[in-house]
Amino acid sequence: MYDLVIRNARVVDGTGAPAFAGEVAVKDGRIAALGPKVEGQARAEMDAGGKAVAPGFIDPHTHFDVQLLWDGAAKPSLEHGVTSIIPGNCSLSMAPLRAGDRPAVIGMFQQIEELPPEAFTLAFDWTWEDWEGYRRALEKGLAINVAPLVGHSVIRVWVMGPEANQRAARPDEIAAMQGVLRQCLEAGAIGLSTSFVDVDENARPVPSRFAQFAELDALCAVLGEFGRMLQIVPEFYDADITIARIDQLAELSLKHGIPTTYSPVFDNRQTPASVDRILNRSAEQFARGARVWPQMQTRPIDISFSLLRPSLFFARLPRWVRVLRQPLEARIASLTDPETVARMVEDAGPDGGERLMGRLVVRGGGEAPAHLAGKTLKEIADARGQSCALALIEVSLEHGLDVAFLSANGGHDNTDRIGPLLARPDVHIGAGDGGAHLASFATYGDTGYLFSEFVRGTGALTLEQAVAKITGETAAIWGLKDRGLLKPGHAADIVVFDPDRIARGEERPVFDMPGDGMRYTRDSVGVEAVLVNGELAWTPAGYTDAKAGRICEMAG
Amino acid sequence: MTLTVQRRFVTPEPDETLEALAARALPGVALDEAMDRIRGWNLHIFAMRKPRGLLLGGDVVFVEPPLS
Ligand SMILES: [Zn+2]
Repeated sequence: MYDLVIRNARVVDGTGAPAFAGEVAVKDGRIAALGPKVEGQARAEMDAGGKAVAPGFIDPHTHFDVQLLWDGAAKPSLEHGVTSIIPGNCSLSMAPLRAGDRPAVIGMFQQIEELPPEAFTLAFDWTWEDWEGYRRALEKGLAINVAPLVGHSVIRVWVMGPEANQRAARPDEIAAMQGVLRQCLEAGAIGLSTSFVDVDENARPVPSRFAQFAELDALCAVLGEFGRMLQIVPEFYDADITIARIDQLAELSLKHGIPTTYSPVFDNRQTPASVDRILNRSAEQFARGARVWPQMQTRPIDISFSLLRPSLFFARLPRWVRVLRQPLEARIASLTDPETVARMVEDAGPDGGERLMGRLVVRGGGEAPAHLAGKTLKEIADARGQSCALALIEVSLEHGLDVAFLSANGGHDNTDRIGPLLARPDVHIGAGDGGAHLASFATYGDTGYLFSEFVRGTGALTLEQAVAKITGETAAIWGLKDRGLLKPGHAADIVVFDPDRIARGEERPVFDMPGDGMRYTRDSVGVEAVLVNGELAWTPAGYTDAKAGRICEMAG
Repeated sequence: MTLTVQRRFVTPEPDETLEALAARALPGVALDEAMDRIRGWNLHIFAMRKPRGLLLGGDVVFVEPPLS
């Protein structure tokens, strides 16, 4: 007797093989049988109505480390059909971490991932220090599967304390880091992440950047004992440096027999040759036997912001960053101080910010008066007879800073170019940053966007290819055991979706985070049911009470 | 399998200064000139970074100009 049979399905099994009309049976949380017709009885049946039935999607680059502690579904990932996520990217994780070192790591999470400080203080009991304790805290309420990386910066802080972002490690410290990493991997971490670009809240490079190559090599030797992944953030703004990183990764991959991945990789209009050079270097290294996976996101780069919070948008304007990082009262004082404002306008460029800010569009909603919504900052500035930077500040002040601006098409937005890149067998689809940059853009729904833009839209990928890219191939790249395929014995992580409709919903602000609470999100479109380990986790009626998520086991 | 030629780089030794790195990377070149060249080829370290010029253990330091 099966627990469930899904009938009337268009089965897309995650291998890339042609879809077929058939049925899928589930028992004890696993796929029990599938084929054109499944014989035998079931306690429950689901009629898929001829829609696609596929393995649950896997999101390989997320920062749900903190959110998972109060929201085991990593909302809204699950409702987009994502059934497994990989947090702990970019050198940051929530363990191993001594209580006294928490403030330093919170600062990094705030700066790099734009998580609100309240997320760390209001929503969960911080009871653990080591990885084992973190895993136990995490496991309590999971509705989604989690395959967590451990962060290099955090391991460095554990071993070197405050000197982690000051200097190279001594040999004894490197040996200690190897021991810590080994413990984390034994306790359920699936690999290591590091970063070559990120800075902390004081603009100081994060600890991982102080590591010599020899330190990374020593840590990769431990990854090699387990055959596990190294993820890095390379200097993605420069093709030459990214290629140098690819070569380093290839050396580590070959020497230690490990997979490696670098993210993000963007296409952009200023340097259109860069992405080809980067991917071609990866291809050369693959041909030598190295595993060096470029991770590419599906969605274009759109950034929203208001002056209520610091934003990525101002990353290259230090005076703006300094002002916006202050508490609200001090920030308003600065924004009304003529000298400070003059310096900020100067910072925005000799044209008063026109090139940088002129094409910003005022978003609807918030406190912004309706007559501004949809207008460009240039139009508003011209009407006021001001520079763009000054108009941005004054319009914001006039509305309690609650005016949201959208910077659209910041790159990676040419679907005709990006489709064929995503379709390459040596490109790993991911890099979505789920759960990070909450107040800058929605990091959800990239899977829906893959189908709407690149399967139905440009046709760069078939339905089966697109499904395989974000299920079976992802599981194989990372070494996730028994996931990513509809295959007897595999976990029954299943998404039912309408291939003619699946998409990402409109980006909209919601207020469901601890404290200050705002983030941008997207609802799913065209997803009809999501099962995690055989249990129904989401339908269009909402989330169920199921808490069937697991820490993923690894193959081999 | 041969790799195409890419821009050559080194990584800093522990506590290595720009002087030491420049002398190591460009041995036949006068030290001031060598340092100038390293600075000019590595704007990600010597122009874009704060504090400017702070050499990190993880850095990629190019020892020749971009290949055209
Ligand atoms: Zn990230």
